[in-house]
Amino acid sequence: MASDGVPPPLIAAQLNYLLNHFPLSVKVDQMWSGSKYYPGVLDRFTIAIPYCLDVVKWDVIYNVESPMSAPDVIFGPDDENFHPLSAKSKTDSLLDDWNSRDPTRLMALIQELRDRYVEYQKKRVAEVDDDRLKFEISTIVFREGIEMYMSSGAEKPEEVRFAVPLTDMNIDKMVPGCPWRHPPKIYLQVMYPVGRKYGSAPSAPRLKLVSTSELKAIFSIEDVKLPPWSDGMCMAEYLPHLEEFLEKQILEAVSLIDVRRRFIEALAPLFGRPLEADPVFCRKATFLAGSGVFTFLVHFMIPTQFPKLPPALMLQSSQHLNSQGVPLKSLPLTDYPWSPRWDVSLMAERIFEFLADEALNFKRYCNESQLQH
Amino acid sequence: MADTPIDKIAISGPTLASLIQRFSSSSGPLDGLLFGHVSLLSPSTLSDDDPSSSTTTTTTSTSQTRIATVTSFISLPFSSPSGHLLPSFPSSPSPLGWFSARRRSPLRPSMREFSVSQSLSSSSTPLSPCLFLLLASPIHDHAIHTHEYRAYQFSVSSESFGSKSIDIVNIGPGFRGHYGAFSPNSPFPALPCVVGGSVMIEDEKEGEEEELVERRQLDLCAEGFEVRRLRRLMGSGAANYTAELEDLYGKMLAKVESLARQVELSSAKVFEQENLNRKLRHKAARLAGSE
Repeated sequence: MASDGVPPPLIAAQLNYLLNHFPLSVKVDQMWSGSKYYPGVLDRFTIAIPYCLDVVKWDVIYNVESPMSAPDVIFGPDDENFHPLSAKSKTDSLLDDWNSRDPTRLMALIQELRDRYVEYQKKRVAEVDDDRLKFEISTIVFREGIEMYMSSGAEKPEEVRFAVPLTDMNIDKMVPGCPWRHPPKIYLQVMYPVGRKYGSAPSAPRLKLVSTSELKAIFSIEDVKLPPWSDGMCMAEYLPHLEEFLEKQILEAVSLIDVRRRFIEALAPLFGRPLEADPVFCRKATFLAGSGVFTFLVHFMIPTQFPKLPPALMLQSSQHLNSQGVPLKSLPLTDYPWSPRWDVSLMAERIFEFLADEALNFKRYCNESQLQH
Repeated sequence: MADTPIDKIAISGPTLASLIQRFSSSSGPLDGLLFGHVSLLSPSTLSDDDPSSSTTTTTTSTSQTRIATVTSFISLPFSSPSGHLLPSFPSSPSPLGWFSARRRSPLRPSMREFSVSQSLSSSSTPLSPCLFLLLASPIHDHAIHTHEYRAYQFSVSSESFGSKSIDIVNIGPGFRGHYGAFSPNSPFPALPCVVGGSVMIEDEKEGEEEELVERRQLDLCAEGFEVRRLRRLMGSGAANYTAELEDLYGKMLAKVESLARQVELSSAKVFEQENLNRKLRHKAARLAGSE
């Protein structure tokens, strides 16, 4: 959309501060100008703010004619009853004493509005006339950081969603040299359908585990099999059990980093020093290998379930380029002799042997593809 | 009375057009107040065309509609960024509500707009009804110049906006009710209506104080031509006075023309100055940001 422009410097400074310093990852959805005279000066934008494992989209409306004034905000069409300025709040003074030269202002405003939004949604959910829901809320209300969302709309069935943060393990502290800006978080998403008065027994809520994307480096949340939700269970019963179960899995995942490190170290005596290796999570390593005069790179992509699953190998020629000038690569290779019970040095040896044969196939493939061009 | 819901909002075509014109010619967003009156309309079935309908006119009083008619507006900022009323907010005359016009933004009340309506309806002299007219233009549309508007009544009891339909008042059978409910609203005092010369003379002699005040006001409007003299237009000496009156009209027209010329010139100057201010502000904002 009309992104062929820039926001005026004062507004840009505030927006950049928001994008870089907000504890959650805020994204700019679109940006446009409301100016009559300066269509290239962008003074309004839609931001997507993470909320309850989804995003809420708010339009921030500055005025390019007076970039030093406070912005106004237009909330989503579903939130027409959200009025953060109506009660005596910090927001009012934030806006009335607006200092456009302070780049932290927009972030402070959004933070304050989001806090008010959390309260607003909590109040909406509390008003839902559903006995089971009322019971669930009363038993988990003491847990910190729970977010709730009441979805309603003409097409969608009414449902209440919870985002429950799980475990207070500081996973980033358990991994030496961890580059994460924020500790990764795991949430359980619980979805209750409401408003179906005639249902017989209350059905189990829909459950889903969600994690922040950083965690993928050591732990794949999609592979966790959730413990079953038995009839008549409530969240207060389910959660401690699930947390214990998850903590065990995370501890195991962290211990697997060392197994991967030892594997990479075991490759070195055969392949030589790695050209490149991921020193923190040990998920990747690249070695230089040769077969006669044919030299190529071997990329090792090591899955989080290693050693249960073998690393994927990808060969990349140092001598053959395709028509676009990109080095020729093989497909990821995983179908080779492998046993998780082998010692890491044996694993390295068997891969080395496998590659000695595979190198010939790869060389032939490279030569043939180049002849075609 | 504090929260009487109105059924409809009416605005005359020229008022709406002038509001849209004010908005589209302004460089930035606009706020302002709406003035007018609330009336109860009884739909009239009187018709010139259909004589048979005259028999049914007596049964209409049951379906009265409460209608708020916007007759004028003034564009001025009157609230803070958080929607509180500024100390300079005029206490009289009491407005019907307010409007907000912002370019290229969603046609939904914003955070501040809700707060302004709330402030207006809960101030020391609460507005009733508290209307809100929102004007916007679409975000994406570049090729076609579109104006969108939507009207709301702010409900104090439920603290929410209720969407209302807008009637653009025009001429025709559909708008007959407006004529029935018309009440003149003008700073020009009423001319004492008297019939027959004898009363006039008595009137002259009596010279009641109340009338004197009114007459002085009228004279002020006529600027140097006493209203009393209008009387001489009737009767035997009328011919002489006609020339005098024509002369007066001529002078008035000349005056109006020179006034119009002055307004034109000063508007051009204001526009020039506004342009200059805008450029300076733009420059200042750039400098402030690049420091």
